[in-house]
Amino acid sequence: MKLYNVKLLTITCEILAQKNIIEILKKHEITGYTTYEVEGNGARGLRGHGLQTEKNVKVEVIIREGKLSDVIEEISRTLFADFALVLYVSDISVVRTEKF
Amino acid sequence: MEILQLIQSNLLTPIILFFLFGIIAARIKSDLKIPEAISEFLPIYLLAAIGLHGGIEMRNTGFENMLIPMFVAIGLSLLFTLNHYQILRRLGKFNIFDSYALASTYGAVGAVTFSVGLSFLKNQGVTSEGYLAAILAILEPVAFIMAIFLTNMAVSKQIRVKKQSFTNDDVSDIDVGLRETKTKLSQVLHESLTGKAIVILLGSIVIGYMIGESGFSSISIVFDQMFTGAIVIFMIEMGIIAGQRLGDIKKVGVFLIAFAVIMPTFNGIIGVLVATGMGLSLGGAVMFGLLLASASFIAAPAVLRHAIPQANPSLYITSALGITFPYNIIVLLPIMFAISTLVHGEGSIDLFNYITK
Repeated sequence: MKLYNVKLLTITCEILAQKNIIEILKKHEITGYTTYEVEGNGARGLRGHGLQTEKNVKVEVIIREGKLSDVIEEISRTLFADFALVLYVSDISVVRTEKF
Repeated sequence: MEILQLIQSNLLTPIILFFLFGIIAARIKSDLKIPEAISEFLPIYLLAAIGLHGGIEMRNTGFENMLIPMFVAIGLSLLFTLNHYQILRRLGKFNIFDSYALASTYGAVGAVTFSVGLSFLKNQGVTSEGYLAAILAILEPVAFIMAIFLTNMAVSKQIRVKKQSFTNDDVSDIDVGLRETKTKLSQVLHESLTGKAIVILLGSIVIGYMIGESGFSSISIVFDQMFTGAIVIFMIEMGIIAGQRLGDIKKVGVFLIAFAVIMPTFNGIIGVLVATGMGLSLGGAVMFGLLLASASFIAAPAVLRHAIPQANPSLYITSALGITFPYNIIVLLPIMFAISTLVHGEGSIDLFNYITK
C-alpha cells in the first residue's frame, strides 16, 4: 500500500496553554488533533501533581509540511515566553493524505 | 490573651488538624493522595451546599436587604485590589504583571475559605446571613476583571509610547489595544460566569430558594450533616498541596510573605467593622470579613494564566495557598470572630462549646 509522508507535531505543555494552542491550530485551519494528560519533570519542576490547573497535557497534530513552519512560528512567538512548553516534529507516514 | 486562647482552641478542631496532617503527610513524602475524582467533586459539593443554604435563608429573609452589602462588598473588593497593586508595585517592586495578578488574587474570594468559615460558625452555634453566598458568587469575577482591564490598558499604553518614539504616526495602536482588551475581557467574563464554581453556586441558590426549608429536609443528610465532614476530607488534599509548596515559600521572598499575612488581616478587620456598621449579624460580619480577607487559589490560576500569562503563577498560587489560606483559617478567623463578638457587644466567646459537646 502506498504511504504518504506528513509531519507529526507533538507539543507537551501545561494544561492552561492547551486552549491557546488549539486556537492557533484553528486559525491555521487545522481541526484534527489528539490530546492526553501526562505527568513529568522539566525546567519548571515536577508537573502533574497538586492542583488541577497544574497538570501537563500532550497535543499531537498530524500536519502537512506546508503549514508546519507557520504553526510552529506562531506557537513559539506567542507561548514560549510565558508557558511551560516543549514541541518537536517527527516524520510519519499515513495512508490517506487527503485527511490532513 | 483571649484571642490567643481562641486560636489555640481553633487549632484543635478537626478541620485544622486534618489540614496540618495533610501538610505533614506531604513533608514526609508519603504517597497519600485523595483520588482525583473526589478532589474535583468536593469543591462542587461544597459550593452546592453553600448555595442551597444561602437560597433557603434568602427565602426566609428576602433578598432586598442584600443589595447594600453586595455593592459595598464590590466597592471594597475593587478598592482593595487597587490598594494591593500600589503596595506591590511601589513597595514590593514587583513588575506590572505580577503586581496585577497578585493584587487580583488577593482581591478575589476563596470558596474553600468561605466553607471553612461557615463550618467554624456552625461549631460556634452562630448563623450568618444567607445572601452572603450570593455575594460570594458575585465577587468572584470582580477583582479579576478589573486587574485584567488595567493590565491591558497599561500594556497598550506602553506599546503606544514605544511606537511613538519611532514614528509620529496616528493613534491606531490604542484602538488595537482597546479592541484586544475588549475581546480578552468578554472572554474572561464569559468564562467566569459560565465557570463551574459560579454555575453550581448560583444554580444551588436558585434551587434552595425554590425548595425552601421543607424541600431541604429530604436532602439535609447530604448537604447539611455531611458538610463539615466533607470539608475535612478536602482539607487533607489542601494540606498535601500546601505541604508540597512549602519549599517554594522561600522563593516568594520576605516581602510577599509579609504581604500575604498583613493584607488579609487588614482587609478582614475592615470587612468585619464595615459589615457590623451595615447591621450584619455577628456571624455575618465574620463571613463578610472572610470574603474580603480570603485569596483565590482555585479560580485564580485558571483565569490569570490566560488573561495575564506574563505573571509568574508560582508567586500567586504559593502565597495564596501556602501562606494566606492557612493563616486565614487558623489565625485570622478566630481573630475576626473575637472582633465581631466585641463590636456586637456580646459577652463570652465559647469556642470550646463544640469540642466539649
